[in-house]
Amino acid sequence: MKEYSQDISTLIDNELHDDMVIKHILDDTESQKQFSRYQLIGDVMRDESEGLDLRIDITDSVMAAIVNETQDNKIAPIATPEKAESNVVPFMKRFGQYAIAASVAGVVVVSSLMINQNAATDPSVTPVLNTVPFGGAAAPVSLQATPVQTKSDIKERNEHLEALLKDHQLQLQVQP
Amino acid sequence: MNERELDLQLIQRIQNGEQQAFALLVRKYQTRVANILTRYVRSSGDIPDVSQEVFIKVYKSLPNFRGDSAFYTWLFRITVNTAKNYLTSQSRRPPASDIDAEEADSYDGSGALKDDANPEAILHSQEVKQVILKVIGDLPDELKSAITLRELEGMSYDEIAQIESCPIGTVRSRIFRAREAIDKQLKPLLEN
Repeated sequence: MKEYSQDISTLIDNELHDDMVIKHILDDTESQKQFSRYQLIGDVMRDESEGLDLRIDITDSVMAAIVNETQDNKIAPIATPEKAESNVVPFMKRFGQYAIAASVAGVVVVSSLMINQNAATDPSVTPVLNTVPFGGAAAPVSLQATPVQTKSDIKERNEHLEALLKDHQLQLQVQP
Repeated sequence: MNERELDLQLIQRIQNGEQQAFALLVRKYQTRVANILTRYVRSSGDIPDVSQEVFIKVYKSLPNFRGDSAFYTWLFRITVNTAKNYLTSQSRRPPASDIDAEEADSYDGSGALKDDANPEAILHSQEVKQVILKVIGDLPDELKSAITLRELEGMSYDEIAQIESCPIGTVRSRIFRAREAIDKQLKPLLEN
Protein backbone atom coordinates (compact mmCIF):
# COMPACT_ATOMS: atom_id res chain seq x y z
CA MET A 1 0.00 0.00 0.00
CA LYS A 2 1.41 3.34 -1.03
CA GLU A 3 2.62 5.63 1.74
CA TYR A 4 1.06 9.06 1.53
CA SER A 5 2.69 10.75 4.53
CA GLN A 6 4.99 12.95 2.45
CA ASP A 7 2.06 13.87 0.20
CA ILE A 8 0.07 14.90 3.27
CA SER A 9 2.98 17.07 4.37
CA THR A 10 3.13 18.63 0.89
CA LEU A 11 -0.64 19.18 0.88
CA ILE A 12 -0.46 21.03 4.23
CA ASP A 13 1.99 23.42 2.55
CA ASN A 14 -0.33 23.94 -0.44
CA GLU A 15 2.32 22.44 -2.72
CA LEU A 16 0.52 19.26 -3.82
CA HIS A 17 -0.85 19.30 -7.36
CA ASP A 18 -1.87 15.66 -7.79
CA ASP A 19 -5.68 15.36 -7.80
CA MET A 20 -5.63 11.59 -7.40
CA VAL A 21 -3.48 11.79 -4.28
CA ILE A 22 -5.70 14.52 -2.82
CA LYS A 23 -8.68 12.27 -3.50
CA HIS A 24 -6.99 9.40 -1.67
CA ILE A 25 -6.23 11.59 1.35
CA LEU A 26 -9.85 12.75 1.42
CA ASP A 27 -11.11 9.17 1.40
CA ASP A 28 -8.68 7.77 4.00
CA THR A 29 -9.43 8.36 7.71
CA GLU A 30 -5.87 7.74 8.89
CA SER A 31 -4.53 10.18 6.31
CA GLN A 32 -7.00 12.81 7.51
CA LYS A 33 -5.91 12.29 11.13
CA GLN A 34 -2.30 12.66 10.07
CA PHE A 35 -3.27 15.87 8.27
CA SER A 36 -4.75 17.10 11.58
CA ARG A 37 -1.56 16.33 13.50
CA TYR A 38 0.67 18.02 10.91
CA GLN A 39 -1.65 21.05 11.01
CA LEU A 40 -1.41 21.08 14.81
CA ILE A 41 2.40 21.18 14.64
CA GLY A 42 2.21 24.45 12.72
CA ASP A 43 -0.54 25.83 14.98
CA VAL A 44 1.60 25.16 18.07
CA MET A 45 4.74 26.62 16.48
CA ARG A 46 2.78 29.79 15.66
CA ASP A 47 1.30 29.88 19.17
CA GLU A 48 -2.22 29.62 17.81
CA SER A 49 -3.25 26.86 20.18
CA GLU A 50 -2.55 28.62 23.48
CA GLY A 51 -5.24 27.93 26.05
CA LEU A 52 -7.10 25.44 23.86
CA ASP A 53 -8.02 21.89 24.79
CA LEU A 54 -6.01 19.96 22.21
CA ARG A 55 -7.64 16.68 23.17
CA ILE A 56 -10.74 17.79 21.32
CA ASP A 57 -11.12 17.40 17.56
CA ILE A 58 -14.53 18.57 16.39
CA THR A 59 -14.22 17.22 12.82
CA ASP A 60 -16.20 14.04 13.37
CA SER A 61 -19.00 15.79 15.24
CA VAL A 62 -19.22 18.52 12.56
CA MET A 63 -19.43 15.96 9.76
CA ALA A 64 -22.01 13.91 11.66
CA ALA A 65 -24.11 17.03 12.23
CA ILE A 66 -23.90 17.93 8.54
CA VAL A 67 -24.95 14.41 7.51
CA ASN A 68 -27.87 14.50 9.96
CA GLU A 69 -29.05 17.91 8.83
CA THR A 70 -28.68 16.97 5.16
CA GLN A 71 -30.72 13.82 5.70
CA ASP A 72 -33.37 15.82 7.52
CA ASN A 73 -33.31 18.21 4.54
CA LYS A 74 -32.41 21.14 6.76
CA ILE A 75 -29.38 21.68 4.56
CA ALA A 76 -29.75 21.19 0.85
CA PRO A 77 -26.86 19.07 -0.52
CA ILE A 78 -24.45 21.42 -2.16
CA ALA A 79 -24.34 20.85 -5.89
CA THR A 80 -23.49 22.78 -9.00
CA PRO A 81 -26.28 25.20 -9.84
CA GLU A 82 -28.91 23.67 -12.09
CA LYS A 83 -29.44 25.22 -15.47
CA ALA A 84 -32.38 27.58 -15.53
CA GLU A 85 -35.40 26.06 -17.21
CA SER A 86 -35.65 27.33 -20.74
CA ASN A 87 -38.77 29.15 -21.62
CA VAL A 88 -40.78 27.23 -24.15
CA VAL A 89 -41.66 29.47 -27.04
CA PRO A 90 -44.56 28.45 -29.19
CA PHE A 91 -43.45 27.29 -32.62
CA MET A 92 -45.27 30.00 -34.57
CA LYS A 93 -43.87 32.74 -32.35
CA ARG A 94 -40.34 31.36 -32.87
CA PHE A 95 -40.94 31.04 -36.62
CA GLY A 96 -42.03 34.66 -36.66
CA GLN A 97 -38.88 35.69 -34.80
CA TYR A 98 -36.71 33.83 -37.31
CA ALA A 99 -38.54 35.48 -40.16
CA ILE A 100 -37.96 38.94 -38.74
CA ALA A 101 -34.30 38.17 -38.09
CA ALA A 102 -33.85 36.88 -41.63
CA SER A 103 -35.47 40.00 -43.05
CA VAL A 104 -33.23 42.29 -41.04
CA ALA A 105 -30.15 40.32 -42.06
CA GLY A 106 -31.21 40.49 -45.68
CA VAL A 107 -31.63 44.26 -45.53
CA VAL A 108 -28.20 44.66 -43.96
CA VAL A 109 -26.54 42.49 -46.61
CA VAL A 110 -28.22 44.25 -49.49
CA SER A 111 -27.40 47.67 -48.03
CA SER A 112 -23.77 46.78 -47.59
CA LEU A 113 -23.55 45.45 -51.10
CA MET A 114 -24.98 48.70 -52.40
CA ILE A 115 -22.62 50.76 -50.28
CA ASN A 116 -19.62 48.65 -51.28
CA GLN A 117 -20.60 49.05 -54.90
CA ASN A 118 -20.63 52.81 -54.43
CA ALA A 119 -17.42 52.69 -52.47
CA ALA A 120 -15.79 50.68 -55.18
CA THR A 121 -16.35 53.61 -57.55
CA ASP A 122 -15.56 56.26 -54.91
CA PRO A 123 -12.10 55.70 -53.45
CA SER A 124 -12.75 58.13 -50.56
CA VAL A 125 -15.48 55.94 -49.01
CA THR A 126 -14.51 53.23 -46.50
CA PRO A 127 -16.59 50.06 -46.81
CA VAL A 128 -19.02 49.61 -43.90
CA LEU A 129 -18.44 45.92 -43.70
CA ASN A 130 -14.70 45.59 -43.98
CA THR A 131 -14.06 41.90 -43.91
CA VAL A 132 -10.31 42.27 -43.92
CA PRO A 133 -8.92 43.30 -40.55
CA PHE A 134 -6.91 46.49 -40.57
CA GLY A 135 -4.22 45.14 -38.35
CA GLY A 136 -3.23 42.04 -40.28
CA ALA A 137 -4.33 38.47 -40.57
CA ALA A 138 -7.29 37.29 -38.52
CA ALA A 139 -7.51 33.93 -36.84
CA PRO A 140 -10.84 32.52 -35.68
CA VAL A 141 -10.88 32.58 -31.90
CA SER A 142 -12.22 29.06 -31.68
CA LEU A 143 -9.19 27.71 -33.53
CA GLN A 144 -6.68 29.39 -31.24
CA ALA A 145 -4.92 26.90 -29.04
CA THR A 146 -5.05 27.58 -25.36
CA PRO A 147 -1.76 29.26 -24.50
CA VAL A 148 0.42 27.02 -22.42
CA GLN A 149 1.25 28.56 -19.06
CA THR A 150 4.90 28.49 -18.19
CA LYS A 151 6.22 28.09 -14.68
CA SER A 152 7.07 31.76 -14.54
CA ASP A 153 3.52 32.61 -15.66
CA ILE A 154 2.12 30.55 -12.82
CA LYS A 155 4.58 32.07 -10.35
CA GLU A 156 3.73 35.56 -11.55
CA ARG A 157 0.05 34.87 -11.22
CA ASN A 158 0.49 33.48 -7.71
CA GLU A 159 2.55 36.51 -6.69
CA HIS A 160 -0.17 38.73 -8.06
CA LEU A 161 -2.79 36.81 -6.09
CA GLU A 162 -0.72 37.16 -2.91
CA ALA A 163 -0.36 40.89 -3.47
CA LEU A 164 -4.13 41.21 -3.98
CA LEU A 165 -4.79 39.24 -0.82
CA LYS A 166 -2.40 41.37 1.23
CA ASP A 167 -3.97 44.49 -0.16
CA HIS A 168 -7.42 43.22 0.71
CA GLN A 169 -6.34 42.43 4.28
CA LEU A 170 -4.77 45.87 4.58
CA GLN A 171 -8.01 47.45 3.44
CA LEU A 172 -9.90 45.49 6.06
CA GLN A 173 -7.55 46.88 8.69
CA VAL A 174 -8.06 50.52 7.71
CA GLN A 175 -11.82 50.26 7.32
CA PRO A 176 -13.73 51.74 10.26
CA MET B 1 -0.81 26.27 -5.51
CA ASN B 2 -1.04 28.83 -2.71
CA GLU B 3 -3.31 28.58 0.33
CA ARG B 4 -6.14 30.49 -1.32
CA GLU B 5 -6.07 28.19 -4.35
CA LEU B 6 -6.07 25.09 -2.18
CA ASP B 7 -9.08 26.34 -0.23
CA LEU B 8 -10.90 27.14 -3.48
CA GLN B 9 -10.08 23.69 -4.80
CA LEU B 10 -11.49 22.07 -1.67
CA ILE B 11 -14.61 24.24 -1.89
CA GLN B 12 -15.07 23.21 -5.51
CA ARG B 13 -14.84 19.57 -4.48
CA ILE B 14 -17.42 20.16 -1.75
CA GLN B 15 -19.72 21.82 -4.26
CA ASN B 16 -19.28 18.76 -6.49
CA GLY B 17 -20.48 16.50 -3.68
CA GLU B 18 -17.21 15.45 -2.02
CA GLN B 19 -18.23 16.08 1.59
CA GLN B 20 -14.90 14.81 2.92
CA ALA B 21 -13.22 17.87 1.42
CA PHE B 22 -15.13 19.88 4.05
CA ALA B 23 -13.67 17.64 6.76
CA LEU B 24 -10.24 18.73 5.55
CA LEU B 25 -11.23 22.39 5.84
CA VAL B 26 -12.43 21.76 9.40
CA ARG B 27 -9.15 20.04 10.29
CA LYS B 28 -7.21 22.90 8.77
CA TYR B 29 -9.02 25.78 10.45
CA GLN B 30 -10.55 24.49 13.69
CA THR B 31 -7.64 25.65 15.86
CA ARG B 32 -7.73 29.15 14.40
CA VAL B 33 -11.51 29.32 14.83
CA ALA B 34 -11.24 28.18 18.45
CA ASN B 35 -8.47 30.74 18.97
CA ILE B 36 -10.73 33.56 17.76
CA LEU B 37 -13.58 32.31 19.93
CA THR B 38 -11.46 32.52 23.11
CA ARG B 39 -11.75 36.30 22.66
CA TYR B 40 -15.53 36.11 23.04
CA VAL B 41 -16.41 32.85 24.81
CA ARG B 42 -15.57 32.87 28.48
CA SER B 43 -16.42 29.27 29.21
CA SER B 44 -13.80 26.99 27.72
CA GLY B 45 -16.28 24.12 27.72
CA ASP B 46 -18.47 26.01 25.23
CA ILE B 47 -15.74 26.59 22.65
CA PRO B 48 -16.09 23.19 20.90
CA ASP B 49 -19.87 23.65 20.62
CA VAL B 50 -19.60 27.18 19.24
CA SER B 51 -16.80 26.04 16.90
CA GLN B 52 -19.07 23.31 15.60
CA GLU B 53 -21.82 25.85 15.06
CA VAL B 54 -19.41 28.01 13.06
CA PHE B 55 -18.50 25.19 10.70
CA ILE B 56 -22.09 24.11 10.20
CA LYS B 57 -22.95 27.71 9.28
CA VAL B 58 -19.99 27.75 6.92
CA TYR B 59 -21.17 24.56 5.23
CA LYS B 60 -24.72 25.91 4.84
CA SER B 61 -23.38 29.18 3.42
CA LEU B 62 -20.92 27.64 0.96
CA PRO B 63 -23.29 28.09 -2.02
CA ASN B 64 -23.04 31.84 -1.29
CA PHE B 65 -19.24 31.87 -1.22
CA ARG B 66 -18.10 33.44 -4.47
CA GLY B 67 -14.34 33.48 -3.86
CA ASP B 68 -14.11 37.30 -4.00
CA SER B 69 -12.31 37.26 -0.67
CA ALA B 70 -10.04 34.61 0.80
CA PHE B 71 -11.89 31.74 2.44
CA TYR B 72 -10.27 32.47 5.80
CA THR B 73 -11.46 36.10 5.71
CA TRP B 74 -15.00 34.83 5.08
CA LEU B 75 -14.64 32.15 7.78
CA PHE B 76 -13.38 34.77 10.21
CA ARG B 77 -16.49 36.95 9.69
CA ILE B 78 -18.79 33.98 10.27
CA THR B 79 -16.84 33.05 13.40
CA VAL B 80 -17.14 36.53 14.88
CA ASN B 81 -20.86 36.76 14.05
CA THR B 82 -21.49 33.36 15.60
CA ALA B 83 -19.56 34.37 18.70
CA LYS B 84 -21.59 37.57 19.04
CA ASN B 85 -24.84 35.65 18.70
CA TYR B 86 -23.60 33.26 21.36
CA LEU B 87 -22.87 36.15 23.71
CA THR B 88 -26.31 37.63 23.03
CA SER B 89 -27.92 34.29 23.82
CA GLN B 90 -25.93 34.22 27.04
CA SER B 91 -27.14 37.77 27.72
CA ARG B 92 -23.58 39.06 27.60
CA ARG B 93 -22.54 42.11 25.61
CA PRO B 94 -20.03 41.51 22.85
CA PRO B 95 -16.66 43.26 23.20
CA ALA B 96 -16.79 46.97 22.35
CA SER B 97 -14.06 46.77 19.75
CA ASP B 98 -13.89 44.23 16.99
CA ILE B 99 -10.70 42.47 16.11
CA ASP B 100 -9.65 41.85 12.55
CA ALA B 101 -8.36 38.63 11.08
CA GLU B 102 -4.66 39.35 11.50
CA GLU B 103 -5.09 40.57 15.07
CA ALA B 104 -7.11 37.50 15.97
CA ASP B 105 -4.35 35.22 14.70
CA SER B 106 -1.83 36.68 17.12
CA TYR B 107 -4.27 37.25 19.97
CA ASP B 108 -3.26 35.52 23.16
CA GLY B 109 -6.56 34.02 24.19
CA SER B 110 -5.42 32.22 27.29
CA GLY B 111 -6.68 35.07 29.48
CA ALA B 112 -10.22 34.48 28.26
CA LEU B 113 -10.38 31.13 29.98
CA LYS B 114 -10.24 32.43 33.52
CA ASP B 115 -13.84 31.53 34.27
CA ASP B 116 -13.44 27.78 34.31
CA ALA B 117 -9.92 26.83 33.30
CA ASN B 118 -9.69 23.07 32.93
CA PRO B 119 -6.44 21.98 34.61
CA GLU B 120 -6.24 18.71 32.71
CA ALA B 121 -6.75 20.46 29.39
CA ILE B 122 -4.12 23.06 30.26
CA LEU B 123 -1.63 20.40 31.33
CA HIS B 124 -2.21 18.37 28.20
CA SER B 125 -1.89 21.42 25.97
CA GLN B 126 1.37 22.39 27.67
CA GLU B 127 2.71 18.87 27.33
CA VAL B 128 1.89 18.81 23.61
CA LYS B 129 3.61 22.14 23.11
CA GLN B 130 6.68 21.06 25.08
CA VAL B 131 7.02 17.84 23.11
CA ILE B 132 6.72 19.62 19.76
CA LEU B 133 9.20 22.35 20.66
CA LYS B 134 11.67 19.86 22.18
CA VAL B 135 11.67 17.63 19.11
CA ILE B 136 12.15 20.68 16.87
CA GLY B 137 15.03 21.80 19.08
CA ASP B 138 16.70 18.40 18.70
CA LEU B 139 16.34 18.30 14.91
CA PRO B 140 19.38 18.57 12.63
CA ASP B 141 19.88 22.19 11.57
CA GLU B 142 18.74 21.74 7.98
CA LEU B 143 15.44 20.16 9.05
CA LYS B 144 14.87 22.74 11.79
CA SER B 145 15.55 25.57 9.36
CA ALA B 146 13.24 24.18 6.68
CA ILE B 147 10.25 23.66 8.96
CA THR B 148 10.76 27.00 10.69
CA LEU B 149 10.90 28.91 7.40
CA ARG B 150 7.77 27.11 6.27
CA GLU B 151 5.63 27.33 9.40
CA LEU B 152 6.75 30.63 10.94
CA GLU B 153 7.70 32.64 7.85
CA GLY B 154 5.08 31.11 5.56
CA MET B 155 7.59 30.70 2.75
CA SER B 156 6.89 28.52 -0.25
CA TYR B 157 9.11 25.56 -1.12
CA ASP B 158 10.54 27.58 -3.97
CA GLU B 159 11.51 30.45 -1.66
CA ILE B 160 13.04 28.10 0.91
CA ALA B 161 14.99 26.32 -1.83
CA GLN B 162 16.48 29.64 -2.91
CA ILE B 163 17.45 30.56 0.65
CA GLU B 164 18.89 27.15 1.43
CA SER B 165 20.45 26.80 -2.04
CA CYS B 166 19.02 23.34 -2.54
CA PRO B 167 16.45 21.73 -4.88
CA ILE B 168 12.74 22.03 -4.12
CA GLY B 169 12.57 18.24 -3.68
CA THR B 170 15.13 18.49 -0.88
CA VAL B 171 13.03 21.17 0.84
CA ARG B 172 9.94 18.98 0.55
CA SER B 173 11.82 16.03 2.00
CA ARG B 174 13.36 18.02 4.89
CA ILE B 175 10.03 19.49 5.97
CA PHE B 176 8.41 16.07 5.79
CA ARG B 177 11.19 14.44 7.82
CA ALA B 178 10.86 17.17 10.46
CA ARG B 179 7.11 16.59 10.71
CA GLU B 180 7.60 12.84 10.78
CA ALA B 181 10.00 13.14 13.72
CA ILE B 182 7.56 15.37 15.62
CA ASP B 183 4.55 13.21 14.74
CA LYS B 184 6.25 10.14 16.16
CA GLN B 185 6.14 11.78 19.62
CA LEU B 186 2.89 13.64 19.10
CA LYS B 187 0.65 10.79 17.92
CA PRO B 188 0.70 8.81 21.20
CA LEU B 189 -0.06 12.01 23.15
CA LEU B 190 -3.15 12.76 21.10
CA GLU B 191 -4.44 9.23 20.74
CA ASN B 192 -4.24 8.31 24.43
